[in-house]
Amino acid sequence: MIETLPLSLLLLLVCSICSAKESFSERLVLSPNLDGTVTASFAFTTLLEGARPRDPAALAEEDDSQHYTLFPLALGQILRDNAITELHLTLNAGKWDYQNWGYPEEEGVGTGAELWAWMGEGAVQTADERWKNLRNALAGLFCASIGSLDEQRTTSPALTFQPEGDLPLSSTTHALRHGTLPSERVCTENLTPFLKLLPCKARSGIATLLNPHRLFDADWHGMGVHVRYLEGAGIEVRLAFQAVLNPVRYSGDKKRDWSMTSLFDRSIERSCPVASSSEIAVRVPPAGGAITEPAPLARHAGFAVYDVKHVDKPIDVGMRWPEETQFEYSLDAPQSALMIRRRLSGSDQYKGQLSVVLTNKAPHEVKTSYLETMPWLLQFYLHSLRVVCDGIPRDDLVSIVSYTPPVPHARPSLLQAVLTLPANSTVQLTMDVVKPFLRYTEHPPDAQRGWDLPPAVFVPLGANATGAARLRRVYTPVLLVDLATPDFSMPYNVIIMSCTLIALVFGGVFNLLTRKFVVVALAPAAPADT
Amino acid sequence: MADAAAPAPPSPPVDLSRITFESTRNRRRIIASYWFIVILALPLWWRTTSIDRLSLPESRARVLAEKHLSSPVHVELRGSQEQLEHVHTLHHELARWISPVAEANGLSFTAGQGPHTRKAGPGSYNVVLENRQDAVVEGRSLHIGLNEPSAGQRVIDTVTKILVPHVSQTASEEHRVVKYSPRYRLAFSLLNEDASSGRAALSWDVREAVDTYLHGTFDRLSVLHNFTIESQVQYHAPLAFEPRAIHVADNDAHGLTPEDLTVFVNSAEWTLASSSSNDPVLHFVLFVPSSQHSPLYILDHEGQATTSDAFVLPQWGGILVLNSPPSHLTVSELAKTFHTFHRQLLTLLGVPDLPAGVQSRQAEAFTDWQLDALVRQRARQNFENSKDTLNSIVKLVHQIENMPVGEDVQGDVQDALDALDAALEAVPSSSTQALQRSAEALTLSSRAFFNPGMLALLYFPAEHKYAVYAPLFASVAAPLIAAIVREVIAWRKARRAARQPEARARAD
Repeated sequence: MIETLPLSLLLLLVCSICSAKESFSERLVLSPNLDGTVTASFAFTTLLEGARPRDPAALAEEDDSQHYTLFPLALGQILRDNAITELHLTLNAGKWDYQNWGYPEEEGVGTGAELWAWMGEGAVQTADERWKNLRNALAGLFCASIGSLDEQRTTSPALTFQPEGDLPLSSTTHALRHGTLPSERVCTENLTPFLKLLPCKARSGIATLLNPHRLFDADWHGMGVHVRYLEGAGIEVRLAFQAVLNPVRYSGDKKRDWSMTSLFDRSIERSCPVASSSEIAVRVPPAGGAITEPAPLARHAGFAVYDVKHVDKPIDVGMRWPEETQFEYSLDAPQSALMIRRRLSGSDQYKGQLSVVLTNKAPHEVKTSYLETMPWLLQFYLHSLRVVCDGIPRDDLVSIVSYTPPVPHARPSLLQAVLTLPANSTVQLTMDVVKPFLRYTEHPPDAQRGWDLPPAVFVPLGANATGAARLRRVYTPVLLVDLATPDFSMPYNVIIMSCTLIALVFGGVFNLLTRKFVVVALAPAAPADT
Repeated sequence: MADAAAPAPPSPPVDLSRITFESTRNRRRIIASYWFIVILALPLWWRTTSIDRLSLPESRARVLAEKHLSSPVHVELRGSQEQLEHVHTLHHELARWISPVAEANGLSFTAGQGPHTRKAGPGSYNVVLENRQDAVVEGRSLHIGLNEPSAGQRVIDTVTKILVPHVSQTASEEHRVVKYSPRYRLAFSLLNEDASSGRAALSWDVREAVDTYLHGTFDRLSVLHNFTIESQVQYHAPLAFEPRAIHVADNDAHGLTPEDLTVFVNSAEWTLASSSSNDPVLHFVLFVPSSQHSPLYILDHEGQATTSDAFVLPQWGGILVLNSPPSHLTVSELAKTFHTFHRQLLTLLGVPDLPAGVQSRQAEAFTDWQLDALVRQRARQNFENSKDTLNSIVKLVHQIENMPVGEDVQGDVQDALDALDAALEAVPSSSTQALQRSAEALTLSSRAFFNPGMLALLYFPAEHKYAVYAPLFASVAAPLIAAIVREVIAWRKARRAARQPEARARAD
């Protein structure tokens, strides 16, 4: 204690110096869900004060030297080398259950890898070249195969992916590049480089809880890197990790009680010395009956808040339901205001049908934008788009904003539309699709598994268009499409077969032309003696 | 029925030779035309399946291999009136002793005497004999005393060492020097072993410190290299081993044995590498041990703590251990650290030391003599390396017949040869220019050597190709060859048959 007191004073003093340039804060939100699971959302935010994204026009010139204290150098270099204004990378595994888990703290929950970036134009290198460099650099940094987010998966859906920060006001326009790779799996090899970007790694502070053994055993897990520019403040990088852990599954007695030790197998023993704020917020379920331990520092807006800036003894936050002997799963599924289901039907190797069913439980009309960024592996027949609302054809409910048809082997299709959902109704969209034939070399290893298709993204537009609250994206689960796969020994069979045929024909013709025919005169039979 | 069964009178045999394709001549023509097409198609087949191998300027590379860069160096001996005699004798001695050493190291050495006939500049130096004990270097002048009897030899030694310093370098000293690159990234890292255990340096004024302590050196070295600077701070940078517990003056301390130093860098936990460019990185690490391991000393081979707190990892960078730092390092507190980093940087870049007993009177970190020597040395190394690379490319292309040589490789090789020629041309007038040209040649030749296009067909050998085509070629070739053989046999038989009646007729 004697040693920690001057140390903490010292730290306060130091952080008044360091916060003039860079500041770091960490936050963990734990919220118990209706199905007994617990959502843990980690957010590690570093703000580089006063910094501006690099001017793309200055890319050809020599850059200033880069000095970082808290901001991750490896990421900073990538951002500056490609003059990226805003960047979002998410790597998720699992299917986010909006019904049971509610709307996530981090909204990018699409399965697989998703990368989108806003960058200024007007550089010597075009936005596409820098997008390519960015992909490859991030692929190297995070050990993920996002390098393969090539032109065949890159679109620019500016309607849905609006910048979360500000774009620097300058004469240059900004361009969006977006790509998803639904088949990407997130695992320990991605988490390790992620942790290395944190000032305190996983050794002190809230990040201690990021235990890969537990996180990758969760029902859902995903990580994200979000960089944005805030006018007047600076460049902010937010490293986020989100997991849905299942204490009922872990516990032997089928209770939903949890604590940090039971969820993460760790507790916070030391504080991160450079964090300017470090807090844990636990959402207290409104239904009651739950006891939060230890007693929180403060309570507000349904959250129990703990400060872990100064840790004297290990902190182990938990929640108990003392009156429950066993967790009972609720039988009637909770209903959120908007439910979305998307399916691909048809067992044909050529034709199929895409259908999206949206249920609006709200007592008022809801408008939502609808985005499909589909690789050319599935091609839409837009003329066959039908909208049925509660059994009645209502083609007026959909208005196509833009549609970019796919170019086979080159470009994905992009469909942006706005749907109107009447109050308390179910709207079904159907559209015929065709599955193209792939070239022999375009098939991935394990081709029989099929292709993962990216999720569709819906953004419910607020009732009042002027609403300051940002619009939130809703991701549908991914789809799997089965394309016609050849027998991969086929090319050799074809070679052998056609060679044999050619040789046969050639031999026949050649022989006919060059063979010497000889007439064999048969001696007439001797006349019979009569 | 009997009538019908009776054999018909034999029809006269068809005259087959009247059917056009049954005449021997036509048949031979048909076979010949098949072969004609096959032979016509051969070049096309060859052309479409052959690997693109452009010819490399081998003879030029071979001619260049014999050549070496040779920079002219002139030393002017001067002295006061009473030392003129010394000057005269020494001048001959200098030429006699230094020329062979200089020759072997790519210098063409000349010595002169007399008053200021030449202005000292790159490649031209003054040695001033004075009445003094020590030796002092200023600019490109060496002031040296000539009092002792053995002084003459001392002058010669000093001038030799200062002109060709790498002659007296040991192998381990040579190994420290990084490979030449026109641009380096200098990565300064402040690593706290464990910041949450207390006693940590949480921030540092690195930008100002680099500007204050290193900027002059960067400017002086700009002839040779450009530098990109980056820095970072890490708060948890654990060691991969446990330092040895020792006692220093009855206090508990920890020590790093010489073996520990070789594994000091914990690449698994420290993210030091910058991956954003291909420029080589030199790391400068200020390491703050955790409170458990503090103070941390570097031990000698006997296990005794040394006074040194820094060490150089050859070709990687420098490390400095800082025990119990303040939590914020200001520019003045970083003075000692950056002087060490400065020394380490010069060592890694190969800036030679002045010979023992010679002092510099300049404010800068190193004198023009040292810089010139380094420029000459680097130019020569680059020239030799680039030559070697070019010859290896030629050799490799000869050895591996499946290796394609594209236009870019050919162009790079030619440009590298041009740059080498330019370096040879520039070296008598300016070793700096020669260095630039040779650096260009080095970049171009290594780019040609690592051209990814050269690897393309290594994994698809010609045998594979033949195996794919064999089912077609074999089955088509068989009747073609059989037809020729048959025709040749038939022709020889016919000729023999034609000759035999003649011979018989003559015998009669």
